[in-house]
Formats: sequence, C-alpha cells, structure tokens
Amino acid sequence: MKNLNEMREVYVAGIGLTQWGFFEQQECYDFGSEAIFKALADAEMGWNDIQAAFCGSVYQGTASGHQAIKEVGLTGIPVINVENACSSGSSSLRLAYLMVAAEIYDVVLALGMEKMPRGPIPSTAFRPWELASGFNIQVGNYALETVEYMRETGVTEEDLARVTVKNRKNGAMNPNARFQKPVSLEDVMASRMVAEPLRLLHCCPLADGAAAAVVCSKNKLKSLSRAVKIAASVITSGVYGDGMPAAGIASSLQFPPEVGILELSAQQAYQVSGYGPEDIDIVQGYDTTVPSELWGMEKLGFCKKGEAAGLLRDGKFDLDGDLPVNTDGGLMSRGHPLGATGLGQICELVTQLRDEAGARQVKKARVGLAHAMGAGPNSSVTILTR
Amino acid sequence: MGESNQQQVPLKEGFWTSGTPDGGPRLIGSRCTNCGEVYFPKKPKGWCLHCQQQTLEEILLSPRGRISAVTVVRQPPAGGFYHGPVPYAYGLVDLSDGLRLVSQITADDLDSIPVGGEAELVIKPLYQDPEGREIMTFMFTPVA
Repeated sequence: MKNLNEMREVYVAGIGLTQWGFFEQQECYDFGSEAIFKALADAEMGWNDIQAAFCGSVYQGTASGHQAIKEVGLTGIPVINVENACSSGSSSLRLAYLMVAAEIYDVVLALGMEKMPRGPIPSTAFRPWELASGFNIQVGNYALETVEYMRETGVTEEDLARVTVKNRKNGAMNPNARFQKPVSLEDVMASRMVAEPLRLLHCCPLADGAAAAVVCSKNKLKSLSRAVKIAASVITSGVYGDGMPAAGIASSLQFPPEVGILELSAQQAYQVSGYGPEDIDIVQGYDTTVPSELWGMEKLGFCKKGEAAGLLRDGKFDLDGDLPVNTDGGLMSRGHPLGATGLGQICELVTQLRDEAGARQVKKARVGLAHAMGAGPNSSVTILTR
Repeated sequence: MGESNQQQVPLKEGFWTSGTPDGGPRLIGSRCTNCGEVYFPKKPKGWCLHCQQQTLEEILLSPRGRISAVTVVRQPPAGGFYHGPVPYAYGLVDLSDGLRLVSQITADDLDSIPVGGEAELVIKPLYQDPEGREIMTFMFTPVA
C-alpha cells in the first residue's frame, strides 16, 4: 500500500454551496449543477479543466451525478456516482483526493447533492426483517446509543440540549442554513419526544441541497492565497465488535474492539496529516442527533470519555471558545441532505480557513477537522489546513 | 399464541423454534466452536466473522436476558416498511449466551420498561397483513 505522506500535495481550489432547505419546485440536478457552477467560479476554472467527477448522493436514483453534470458540460470525462450513506459526500472527496495525490488526474470535481423525502430518513441500510421490525428509525437507534452514553457518563438531557442551543446560535449567522433562528434551552426541552431520550430539537432536520469542491494539484491552482490543503481524507467502515444500531449492528459482548470505527478513522487521519487533536483549531462535528457531537468529540481524541458535556458548558466549543465546533450551525441548523452533508462540512472549513466566514468567522483558524458517520457503517475524517 | 383462529405467519422463517423440551420458544442462533462468539440470526454460511473461519454450529439461545437499553418510538419509521403499532419500544437485550441483540420490547406500559431489568422471549403478532394473516415475530418482555 502506498504511503499518502509520500504522494503529491492536494488542494481544494474552489467550493460551491447552495441554499439548504425544502424546495418543492427544484430537483437534485438543479442544486447539483448550481453547486458545480459556484465551485468552478470560486476556483477560477471552467468545466473543460475538470478531468473526472465523483458525485455523492443516496436517494437520487440511477446515474444522478450525470443528471447534474449534463447541465454543465459534456466532455467525455469519467463521471462516477458514489453512494455511501451519510458519508457519500466525504467519500466523493476522498476519491477525488486520491486521484490527484496518485497523479492519475490533476483537477477533479467532488459533488454531493440530495433532494430529501419528507419525514424521517427512510433508511434501507437494514435487512428486510429489520425494516419490518421498525429498526430503521435512526433517531431510535441513536437513542439506544444515547441511553448507554448517558448511563456511562452522567450526561443529562439538558447537556444534550446545550449542543442544540450552541449550534442553532451559530446557524443564525449562516445564510445557507435551513434554520437560521436560535432556540433556547427551554425550547429544546419542551419539544416533542421522538424516541426517548431524544426530542425533536435533539435531532437534525432534513433538507435539500448540494455542495461541491474542485480538488487539484498545486501547479493547477489559480490562486495559492485562497487554496486550502487536504492534509488527510479518511474513510473507515465496520470494525468487528463495534456496535452501531443505526447500521443494524449490536456490539459484541465477548469481543469488544480495541479501536472502534470512529477512533480508527481519527487515528488514520492524524497519522497521515501529522497533526494531532491538539493542533486542530476548528471542528465540523457530526450532530445528526446532538449526543453524537459529544461522543464524537471524545472519540476524535479532543477529550476523555464523559468530558465533552462539561467542556461545552464551559464554552470551549463556542465560536469564541478554544475549539469552536460546528461553526456554521452543523446538521442541526444546515439540515441534512444526506449525500451533500460531508461536502457541506468541507465548504465551511474552507470558508473559515480562508477567513471569509463573515459574522461567524473564528479567529486564527489554521487547521480544521470534519467528521461524519454513515449507515453501513462508515466514519469519515477530513483534515484541512491553510 | 393460543387464542387466535387467524392464520399466523412468521416474519422470517428459521428465527425461532417452539418445540423445545421445556416448552417455551427459543431463538435459533450460531456459536463458533473455535472462539465461542454467538450470533443471531443464525448465519446460514456458518462463517464466523470474528475468527474468519467456517466454524459455526447452530444453537438454541437462552430465552432470558437483560435489557441494556430501550427507547420508545413515538412516530412511525419512514419508508413504508413498518406496519406495527406506534408507539413501540425496542432495545438492546444481553443474553446469558454472551450475545447482544436488537429486539422489540413488549410491555403493558411501554414507559416503565426497566433498563437493566430481566426480560424473556415471547413470540407475538407484529401486524396483520392485507390477507388478514397475523405476522408473528420475536420480542422480549420484562419479567418481575
């Protein structure tokens, strides 16, 4: 296996992000092509510069990436569709990154897009009898993990609500977010119960939307000053013994893993990038339900198990804290167009690292980390640096 | 379950047996003759994921376990796959065989299912299909 440290450097030259929300009259190729046009303009490139395209989506049917790209250009390049549940966007980015690092291509597009069905996620990442048994309700699956997490750490429902309050506060400064209104602790605690102990405002809303990134080698950059380097782009899939009810997997009581799927993705990203948790300035965490942001911070190595809620209370993860988390409001504010989410996180990191985030700009952000999980299971960790 | 005259169909064939010497239903699983890992449902290829060998044998699982987590779902899952009642409870049940499984949990009062409490296997109707047949599945229910 090749050592990525010894391969050439890969940059994000341009990003494109659409408005996220519910848009009855638009289809995913409308969002997808809009994100591509924006990313090309941001990179100061044209479609003729793109040598390959990886297109992430989950529910858009056959060859959906082609549907978006045929609004932009038909140049005979390979267009590959990527379905990897909630990690589809970050999987597209990893494939684009590997192609450039390995010198197969110099300029590659990574796209993520989704037009979501209404209601909860209609996940099919289960066996038919599990679907018929009601096990595909992802809020319920996260609730089961949350019950265990709260028992083991003493984290309270109010601690969970504080994640929502922080993220919705940040989202109020993000013009692309589906929800741009802050909520109070009382609002969260009074919202209806979906699956104990998770209430409606502990769970991210769904949304339609798209995000794209133009990824290239250093010599193809039009502007070095706005370029952001990909220091690591890692995907890990299921690890024996590591339970994830959202992927239909209960943990092994007899053979628990030494290193779980999330910790493994973090270890690999730190190893490839040469950075450790102490070097990270901002984080885009995975708040598909708010407790997963808390245990995510712990498993990514930013603190010990059970410490994240206390650090949140102390303001460490606020916009003006030591380690701002979900500076654009996270999934809780942006919404969750499954295939676009991973690349939406990348757009926010790039915007922050370029110092272009306006009202929500973080001071002195130089190294950023994005983490997303997905049914399957998958765990993706991306580290970007300016 | 005795009183019904309706035709009863298992949600999935081969998940449980009712003809055990002690009378009660038992789930059918697999155990590795090499490492001792236990699986449910039974793995038809006999392949142990843990030791990467074809070393599994069929076993009847313990009908009792401990509820290690439970949630009560207040809205229907999406996708049109679930036809059972809402709200419903499901959770993680640890069997004494050394296996954790995901199962619906049935109780008169879903809000008072004790986490950490003992539960036993029951086979119950999940829903009625369009032909009027009762679709049966395994569940666990708390025991005093």
